[in-house]
Amino acid sequence: MLRLSHVSRSFGATHAVDDVSLEVRSGEVLALVGENGAGKSTLMAIAAGELEPDAGTIERYGHVALVHQHFMLVPALTIAENLALADFTPRRLFTRRSLESQARSILASTGFDLGDVSRRVEELSVGEKSKLELIKAVARRPAVLILDEPTAVLTPHESEELFRVIRRLAAAGTAIVFISHKLPEVLAIAQRIVVMRAGKVVLETADATADTIAAAMVELPPARPDQQQRVLDGAPLTLAFDDLRVRRSEIVAIVGVAGNGQTELARRLRDALPAAGHIPEDRTRDGVVSAMTLAENLALRARRWKRRDALRHAATMMSLYAIRASGPEQHAGSLSGGNQQKLLLARELDRRPELIVAAEPTRGLDLASTHFVHEQLRTAARAGGAVLLITSDLDEAFALADTIHVIYRGRLSAPMSREEARARVADLMAGVA
Amino acid sequence: MKSVLTGFAAAIAALLLLAAAGALFGHAPREIFAILLRGAFGSRFAIEGSILKTVPLLLTGLSVAIAFRAGVWNIGAEGQFIVGALAAFLAAPFGVVASLVAAVLAGAAWASIATLLRLWRGAPEVLTTILLNFTALHLLGWCVNGPLRERAAQYPQTDRVAASLSSIGSLHSGVLLALVAAFALWFYVERTAGGLKLRATGLNPSAAEWAGVNVRATIARSMALSGALAGLAGGIELLGVTGRLFERFAVGYGYSGIAVALLAQLNPLATILSALFFGALAGGAGELQRSMNVSAAVATLAQATAVLVLLLFTALDRRRRWSS
Amino acid sequence: MVELIVSVAPLALAASTPLLLAVLGELVLQRSGVINLGIEGMMLVAALTAVVTAHHTNSAAIGFAGGIAGAAAVALLFGVFAIALRADQIVTGTAINLLALGATGFAYRELLRRSTELQSLPKAGALPMQLLAWLAIPALVAVALWNTPFGLRVRACGESPAAVGATRASVAWHRAGALALETVLGGLAGAYLALVLSSGFAENMTAGRGFIALSIVIFGRWKVKGALLGTAIFGFAAASQYALQASNSGVPYHLLLALPYVVTLLVLAGVAGRVKAPESLGRQDL
Repeated sequence: MLRLSHVSRSFGATHAVDDVSLEVRSGEVLALVGENGAGKSTLMAIAAGELEPDAGTIERYGHVALVHQHFMLVPALTIAENLALADFTPRRLFTRRSLESQARSILASTGFDLGDVSRRVEELSVGEKSKLELIKAVARRPAVLILDEPTAVLTPHESEELFRVIRRLAAAGTAIVFISHKLPEVLAIAQRIVVMRAGKVVLETADATADTIAAAMVELPPARPDQQQRVLDGAPLTLAFDDLRVRRSEIVAIVGVAGNGQTELARRLRDALPAAGHIPEDRTRDGVVSAMTLAENLALRARRWKRRDALRHAATMMSLYAIRASGPEQHAGSLSGGNQQKLLLARELDRRPELIVAAEPTRGLDLASTHFVHEQLRTAARAGGAVLLITSDLDEAFALADTIHVIYRGRLSAPMSREEARARVADLMAGVA
Repeated sequence: MKSVLTGFAAAIAALLLLAAAGALFGHAPREIFAILLRGAFGSRFAIEGSILKTVPLLLTGLSVAIAFRAGVWNIGAEGQFIVGALAAFLAAPFGVVASLVAAVLAGAAWASIATLLRLWRGAPEVLTTILLNFTALHLLGWCVNGPLRERAAQYPQTDRVAASLSSIGSLHSGVLLALVAAFALWFYVERTAGGLKLRATGLNPSAAEWAGVNVRATIARSMALSGALAGLAGGIELLGVTGRLFERFAVGYGYSGIAVALLAQLNPLATILSALFFGALAGGAGELQRSMNVSAAVATLAQATAVLVLLLFTALDRRRRWSS
Repeated sequence: MVELIVSVAPLALAASTPLLLAVLGELVLQRSGVINLGIEGMMLVAALTAVVTAHHTNSAAIGFAGGIAGAAAVALLFGVFAIALRADQIVTGTAINLLALGATGFAYRELLRRSTELQSLPKAGALPMQLLAWLAIPALVAVALWNTPFGLRVRACGESPAAVGATRASVAWHRAGALALETVLGGLAGAYLALVLSSGFAENMTAGRGFIALSIVIFGRWKVKGALLGTAIFGFAAASQYALQASNSGVPYHLLLALPYVVTLLVLAGVAGRVKAPESLGRQDL
């Protein structure tokens, strides 16, 4: 089991974790809930010993294993080599065969199956990689197992399989902490729920409903009247690409678990349609040029560059798109994620393109920024633009889109209305026809 | 402001190391500095010599700076310099302008071989440009020993070139050309849309691509421009200074250009100062060799030191920014 | 044709031995995610220190050790910048080459002034080093990288340093270890060049071998077998150059000098786009 007492941790001026006390007992499944940036991952990194707290004590009775949200695997190495690297490094010389037989015995002892352990990790599916991360943690027989957003990249069916594993481990005595921002899952699996907001614990309960949890998590946006399914059959086509059709004023969403070809699709669209507005899914790597100023970033799409005009234009964009920065000369790299995303939106939408392709536009954003981005996309559609949304967030897709496709292993499903999608999306995402 | 101070600090550190190296082998630092100053600025002849050495360094420095700014590792200024001079020699009978144009085009073409290999076959230009340097070196060797050898056939060198730059004293018009190039490059990089896209490509090529910049074309253009500048340097050196080609024509101007560019932190205007520093140093080192028999290679030593000191400051600064 | 190859073989092997050592050393380092353009300078410095050491101790064996010491000085500088400070590896390597060129040129002239007998050196036998370089060392490198826990972690550093960091192992120390291996091999290479292939030091005597070694690492796909094959092929090409020279084939001498570099260019053009380098090679942020 695990006990955290009055733990705090800051990064510069930000209080990531603010005087949190938490306890998990053997055999219990605890859910740690909160929106992006609430401090859940930082708290668990401290619990697992990967991060030092600024204040407070941690009592651990047994080994604490943390399964990260982002894979800590080496893609070019095999399953066997990755396992050896993790915690089972042999003490002397080994051969490929001895490494593989060690891997097989590890798998056997944990009760998992991963098939051929000589495969390189880059050949595995996203679900298999997730399983490997879990195996790495479980094989050390931890007293406490912490799972950070484990279902973020799993299909609904794979999530079910994970829940079965969790229940089995808990029954055998492992204490489990399940970090998630998906309320239905949390309600399904957890015995106790702890809600964090802005670094503090705001709610701790053994029986809760989705409403109470959500209310504790965040300020809820005002309730919207039920969305009407828009009929756009008569509108002119803006995009006809492979089997994809997007019309003027239409918002089409492509949903799927990350790693099913969305990145490749977005790139092909970018190369094929230079005139369209493109918002890349990784805003720090592919979006903003961190070392350049806001004004320079905004001007990248322009034909001319005159410093004074560019500065004025940037100031206008800053107010139009609510970009919080000290001025147009601030370096884009020092903006928050939400402001960087708004910067990208400004750069792409200002040209009033006929088509906008937005990939994961609200990934990692706080709720206020997310709402802003959604509103911008809706406004663009109302003004006559066509919007193609590529996202792994089902809620986002259902909130915005008129038409929904599911992408699985690089192939698109037929277009569906919202109702049809609600019924079929889980199966389609799992590849079940 | 901070980057200016950093540059100066690196230059001073280079001089200090030079003195230390000399002291290690028994030469008094005071004496070393005195001779360096004399060699660099001690007479009208010395000053002119320093300026004449500054010109090729300025152009190769600009060449490297524009490439590095675009994120392209052009280590091939040495070979582009040589090829530019060769082309200038061959085109000289048609006049000075034709000769310099040929130098520019040849340098651009030589650099573009590396571009082609990178864009078409994925070969890293950091290696291909160096390999092309050695190739150009031996091409020159073949020319001055073979087809282009002087009629008298006494030494491995060519006859005098058919054209020359107009000059005042020994200062040739290449000085003006180089200065114009520096300002033009500064304007291009900082004040045009093309320059903005070039800078973006160097800072984050994938973000630039997503923003609609044609990264492949930008790389090709930057490499060609870079080669052109280095080629021009070679042509000017031939027409304005040496008057003929011989085996050790390039004497490391291309590699020194890397140090010049890095000390100037890739800023075209600062490159003027940086080139002047290294040019004066080269003049001083020559005097050092003449009067104290200390190898002029100390100039290269000083260049390397300046670069490493600069690298140190950059790395420490980055660490500070990351940890805050 | 066959006679040509057979007659050229011993020369090819001998001449490309320093190249092979440099290739193997750089291979190990690049597997850890670091690229050292300065191997050229490292060999050059090693050549000089080997000559000085051999001259003063009148022993070729100690001369080799001196070569390693010289390489170590260069490696220390490179390691501090490229590994500890995480400065740009290409710029660091280039600066090191400049430094080595200037330092060896300067030092050699100073040393010559004191004792012109620097030219007289103990004779070093070629065979032991050749056997070492072509048989023992490749085997050791292969086992080190693929059959030891250290090698596993080194390879992981070259692919995903973040994953290694998560296991609490130190990426920097593993890269330093790889650099240490390269230092030994690079030192031996420089010493061999000066003591066996030539008879002393000459300015800039490495003549780009370091860069050719870098190219062969790519050609060999960062594997030991590939390194052996690539170097052997290159050795033959280079030796054929000497044979052509000697046989008065009419090909101009200087163009033959350019041949190794042109061949390497062609090799890079043929292979480079199709091979996959270690993922984190040259990256500063990881």
